[in-house]
Amino acid sequence: MSIQTRPLAVPKKRGIFSYMRSEYMLYLLMVPGLLYFLVFKYIPMYGVSIAFQNYNIFNPDNSTWVGFDNFSKLISQVGFQRALYNNIVISLQKLVIGFPIPIILSLMINEVNSRNCKKFIQTSVILPNFVSWVVINGLMYALFSPSMGGIREIANFIGYTGQLPNLLTDVDSFQSVIVWSHVWKNAGMGTIVYLAALMGIDDQLYEAASIDGAGKWRQLIHITLPCIKSTIIVLLMFRVGEVMYAGFDQIFAITNPMVNPVADIIDTFVYRVGLQNKQFALATAAGLFQSVIGLVLVIITNAIAKKTDPDSSMI
Amino acid sequence: MKKSKAEIIGMIINGVALFLIAFITIYPFWHVLMYSISDSQRASAGGLFFLPKGLDITGYELVLKQPQLYNAYWNTIARTAVGTLLSVILTAMLAYPLSLPRLKGRKFLCIAIFFTMLFNGGMIPTYLLVNDLHMIDTFWALVIPNAMSAYNLFIMRNYFQSIPASLEESARIDGANPITILFRIILPISTPTLAAVGMFYGVSNWNAYLDGVLYINNNSLQILQVYLRNLFSSAGSGAVLSGIQGISDAARVTEETLKMVTISVSVIPILIVYPYLQKYYTTGITTGAVKG
Repeated sequence: MSIQTRPLAVPKKRGIFSYMRSEYMLYLLMVPGLLYFLVFKYIPMYGVSIAFQNYNIFNPDNSTWVGFDNFSKLISQVGFQRALYNNIVISLQKLVIGFPIPIILSLMINEVNSRNCKKFIQTSVILPNFVSWVVINGLMYALFSPSMGGIREIANFIGYTGQLPNLLTDVDSFQSVIVWSHVWKNAGMGTIVYLAALMGIDDQLYEAASIDGAGKWRQLIHITLPCIKSTIIVLLMFRVGEVMYAGFDQIFAITNPMVNPVADIIDTFVYRVGLQNKQFALATAAGLFQSVIGLVLVIITNAIAKKTDPDSSMI
Repeated sequence: MKKSKAEIIGMIINGVALFLIAFITIYPFWHVLMYSISDSQRASAGGLFFLPKGLDITGYELVLKQPQLYNAYWNTIARTAVGTLLSVILTAMLAYPLSLPRLKGRKFLCIAIFFTMLFNGGMIPTYLLVNDLHMIDTFWALVIPNAMSAYNLFIMRNYFQSIPASLEESARIDGANPITILFRIILPISTPTLAAVGMFYGVSNWNAYLDGVLYINNNSLQILQVYLRNLFSSAGSGAVLSGIQGISDAARVTEETLKMVTISVSVIPILIVYPYLQKYYTTGITTGAVKG
């Protein structure tokens, strides 16, 4: 192919073949990436078909179709009901507590005048975002362990010497540990997103408002919040879509048999049933149940977002 | 403009609250680091609030003598280096054509890729695929299955779209082919986005552990995060710790100190580099809108 002589302006009526011939290098560039998405994303999507089969591990070609049998088996299983319940309870808590905190934090940081202080606080709150859940699990141990925990030292420092409960093995408190450590790890990331949005607001708006006599509070309600509204909606949408995913990385890192009744979520259920007990079909059905509901949630929230604010819909 | 009394009080409260929040985020790390360099016996007696109790680095000497830790460290470094490089190159190669309006089928491909953000086959079908590809217990299981993310792809594509089309046009007139244009012209002026995407891939490679649990059973391929996870799981900690405590002068170092040292050893590299990386977060996020 000689590119040198190719006319720059693309002639209007050109066949798809001559187009492909002249641009084949562009398509060539895409081959590895497209192959990746096809193989590692789309083949597993097809792979969910085993959820409707009586999957034979030793001879997959011999599997028979059983319709929705696996799903009815699943729904009637106490273990799955518990996992689903925990899943929803944990992720709703994460959503309700974790969503507003970055907004508040970014508004607070935005009020700080000193550049260095601003930088210091930003750098601190983003730190947990850079470490893995395994490390966070270790930090939680270092914080809450009754034998060496930082909480005990802080309590002693303030003058409290009584017995402290071990929050990590206590069924009543474990979900709160999960929720708050999630909030603690991810707040910084959201804060940075909102800070970027806050930076984009024109200072003149605030000047005009303060000349008109609007105080800080009214500036917040009438300028700041409307200006970051679409960022809030987009992030909220992402979070609602994740409600079915209660945090496998996090909970799987804190394997602790004592708290299993309150910490077992759909993903840990899938891992146990599928990869440990080799009930592939049942586990795939659980996973499919999860991702279908997740997809429906995204579509619904997107439709709502589109109605309230056309700029902020995702699709 | 003069500030009212109420505003000044508000600013003070705000500042104090923010410093408290910064304390809450840093303290767990601080506590672990201080515990790890403290004298083991005195630390376990309590009273270590802010400063170390005595100074003793025997724990570090013991932990760093572990061949299994070295091996895990090496595997994590290798997967991060290879994985990040591969991911960035693959992502750029796909993002560039998708950024060109003249590409036929562009819209369809973008929607198909975007859909993978909304729906996925799940753990079991993916595991069975990796198994069918004979990747289980190979280094590639740590690199290939999560090589690309649609999110990072769209970050890069959006950045490429913001580059003036005339730049690409003039290179085409000069006879450059798309591969040359991408590697010689587009990528050199895209360093902010390359850094951001590279950081996203790098951090997620360094921190990933699920693939190390799901796809790797072979101890010689164990990654750092899995080593650390075993240390804190009730079943695995015995095996890891007995290896350390078999060493002669281990008696005066407690299990707690050894755990804190191991966390420190795995987290110190991140503490050193993350302040430099964090600015790319903003770059990545602000060009990351998926729409378009």
